[in-house]
Amino acid sequence: MKVRHLVPVALFALAASAFAQTTLNVVTAGDQNMVDYVNNYLAPKFEAANPGVKVRAVGTGPGDGGSQKIYEKLSAQQKAGSAEWDVDVAVIHQLASATMVNEKLLMPYRNDIAAGKLVSRDTAKNALGANVDGYVLPMFHSQIAFAYNPDMVKSPPKSFVELNEWVKKNPKQFGYNGVKGGMSGVGFVTGWVSAYSGLSDKLEKGPYDASSQAAIDKALGGLKEFNQYVVMTPGNAGTLDMLNRGEIAMGPVWVDMFYTWQADGRLNPKVKLELPSPGLPGQPMYYVIPAKAAHAALAKKFIELAESPEVQAEGIVKQFNWYPGIDPQFVQPKLDQASWNKLFTDISPADLSKYGRPFPLSPYFKEITEGYERVVSK
Amino acid sequence: MNHRGIALALIAPALLVVALFFIAPLIMSAVQAFHGKDGGFTLEHFVKSFDFYGRDLLFTLAIVILSTLLIGIVAIAIAGYLTLGANARAVAVLRWLYRWPLFIPFVVAGQVMRTFLAKNGMLNHVLIGSGLIEPLSAQSLLDWRGIVIAFVWKQAPFVTLLLAGAMASLEAQHVEAARNLGAPRWRVLYDIVLPQVRGTLLVGLVLSFVTMLSVLSVPLMINPNSPTMVTVDVAYRINTHGDYGVANALCLLSLALSAIGAAFYLRHASQSSAKASP
Repeated sequence: MKVRHLVPVALFALAASAFAQTTLNVVTAGDQNMVDYVNNYLAPKFEAANPGVKVRAVGTGPGDGGSQKIYEKLSAQQKAGSAEWDVDVAVIHQLASATMVNEKLLMPYRNDIAAGKLVSRDTAKNALGANVDGYVLPMFHSQIAFAYNPDMVKSPPKSFVELNEWVKKNPKQFGYNGVKGGMSGVGFVTGWVSAYSGLSDKLEKGPYDASSQAAIDKALGGLKEFNQYVVMTPGNAGTLDMLNRGEIAMGPVWVDMFYTWQADGRLNPKVKLELPSPGLPGQPMYYVIPAKAAHAALAKKFIELAESPEVQAEGIVKQFNWYPGIDPQFVQPKLDQASWNKLFTDISPADLSKYGRPFPLSPYFKEITEGYERVVSK
Repeated sequence: MNHRGIALALIAPALLVVALFFIAPLIMSAVQAFHGKDGGFTLEHFVKSFDFYGRDLLFTLAIVILSTLLIGIVAIAIAGYLTLGANARAVAVLRWLYRWPLFIPFVVAGQVMRTFLAKNGMLNHVLIGSGLIEPLSAQSLLDWRGIVIAFVWKQAPFVTLLLAGAMASLEAQHVEAARNLGAPRWRVLYDIVLPQVRGTLLVGLVLSFVTMLSVLSVPLMINPNSPTMVTVDVAYRINTHGDYGVANALCLLSLALSAIGAAFYLRHASQSSAKASP
C-alpha cells in the first residue's frame, strides 16, 4: 500500500480516538516541576482509574505571571460569553485567586468533595486578605528559607537584624535575586520590610492603609544600604547555582527546590536551611475549577484524587518535597518516617508554624515591589 | 486589468500580512501607551517609565553602543585577516571557526555565558590554572560585562560574514599596488580596504544594534537585576504586574532608540542609491 493511501486511514484512526476520549485540561502556573508533577505523577493515576479520560497538562510559566495568563484566558472567555470554557482544572497562585473569585471566574467546590474536610490551614479560606472560602484547595504549601553553606558559615544569623550585621562583616557572601528574578527574591524583600517596618501584622492581615508607605519606604531605604554588601543573583535557580559553586555562602531559596536539587545531586549535600526571625513568606498553590469548566464533574474527581492523603504523601511530600496542602496529621500516617523526617531536617514543624508567614496583602505587595524599584533600584 | 492593478493584486497578500500583524499591533501598542485607566489620554505611563526605568534606558543604550563598537573592531580584525592574511592555513582555520556562534541562539549563548563567566566558572578556572590571576582576585563577570561579552560573541560573526564578503569582492589591484609601494598590512586595511567597505560595515552594525536592543534572553539570564536592559523591564511589567500601559510606553521608548539605528541605515541607503543613479 502506498503512503498516500495510509494517510486517510491514519487520520480516521486519530479522529476516532479523539472521539472516544474525554480530555481533561489541566492548566498550571509555576515552574516546570508543576507540569511534570501533573503529567508524570497525577495523570497516569487518574487515567488508570478513569478509562477513556486523557489528562492534558499545560504550563503557563513561573511566578504570578503564570497565574496572570490563566486569569487573562478565563476572563477573555467570560467576556466573549462562551458557554463552556476550555480549562477544567487550574493551578494558580494566591494573588490571582483573589481576583478570579472576585470576578466570578471560579466555581465553589470544596464542599462537593470529601478531601475538602481535610484542609486546616488559614490559606484555604484566605488568600492575601481576600475571602476565597470554598473556591480553592491548597495543592501544597511551599516556604522560602535561607540556605547556607556550613563550611563557610559556622553559626548562621537567626534574624534579619543579625543578618544585617553579618553581611557587613562578610561582604559579598549573601546573595539574592532582587524582585525581577523570581519569588524567592521577592519573598526576601517582603520579609525584610515586615521585619524593619514594624508593620508585619498589618501587612499580612490589613486593613490596607496608604499612609504606611512612609514606613515601607524607610525599611526599603535600609535594604538599599544592605544591598551594597550583597551579591545579586540571576533568578531562583541562580541563587542555588552560586551557593553550589561556593560563590556565595548564603541566600534565600524555595525549600522544595532546595530539597529537589539536593536529591538530584545538583546541590552540595552539606548546604543547610534556616528560617530566620521574624519570618520569611511561603505560599500555597491552589487547585481551582473555572465557573464554566466543560468537565466540571471530572475536574472534581481529579482534585479529589490529588488531595487524597495517599497522593499528598507519596507525590507532594516524598517525590516533590513540598509541604502538604491538607492537614499534615492525615498525611503522616501514609508515609515512612524517613521521608517525613527529611522534610523537617533543618526546619522543625514548630519553627515553620512560628516563622513561616504569608505574603503581604496584595495592595501592600504591590507597594513593596514597586517601592523596591523606586527606592532600592534607583 | 491593467498592469498597475495586477501589480497591486500581487503584493496585496504581503501588504495585508504586514499591515495586520506588524503595523496594526504597533499602532495599538503606541495608542495604549497613552491610554489612562479612565480611558482618556495620559502621560503617566511615560512618567513612571522614566521614574522607574530611566536608568535602565541609559544602561541599555550604553550596553548596545559599546557592544556595537566592539563588534565593529572584532569584525574588522577578523575580516581583515581573512582578506589580507598571509598564512593560508591560519586563514582557513579562522574562516572555519568564526562562523560557529552564528548558529547558536541568543538564549543558548546566555545560558553558556552564565556558567562560563561565573566567579567560579570555567573562564576563571582556566585563568587561575594557568597562573594568570590569583584565586582571590577572581570575580564574576555576570553583570554588564557579561551581557556585552555575550552580544559581541554572538553578533561579531554576523558582521564579519558581511564584511569579509564585501572585502573579497574588492578589486585586488588596489591592495597589491599599496603593498608594492611598501605599505604594511594594517595600513592597507585602514586606508585602502576599509573606506571601500564602509557601507557594508555600517549596515551590519546597524542591524546588530537593532537586534541587540530587542534581546530579552541574554540580560534575563545574565543580569536581570537593576540596572538591567529595558526588555527585562517590559517582561516584568507584563508578567508580574499585568501593567500593559508602562510596558507599551517602554516599548515605544526602545522603538525611539532603534529609530536612531534606522536613521543611520536610511541615510546610508539613500546616499548609496544616489551614487548608483547619478
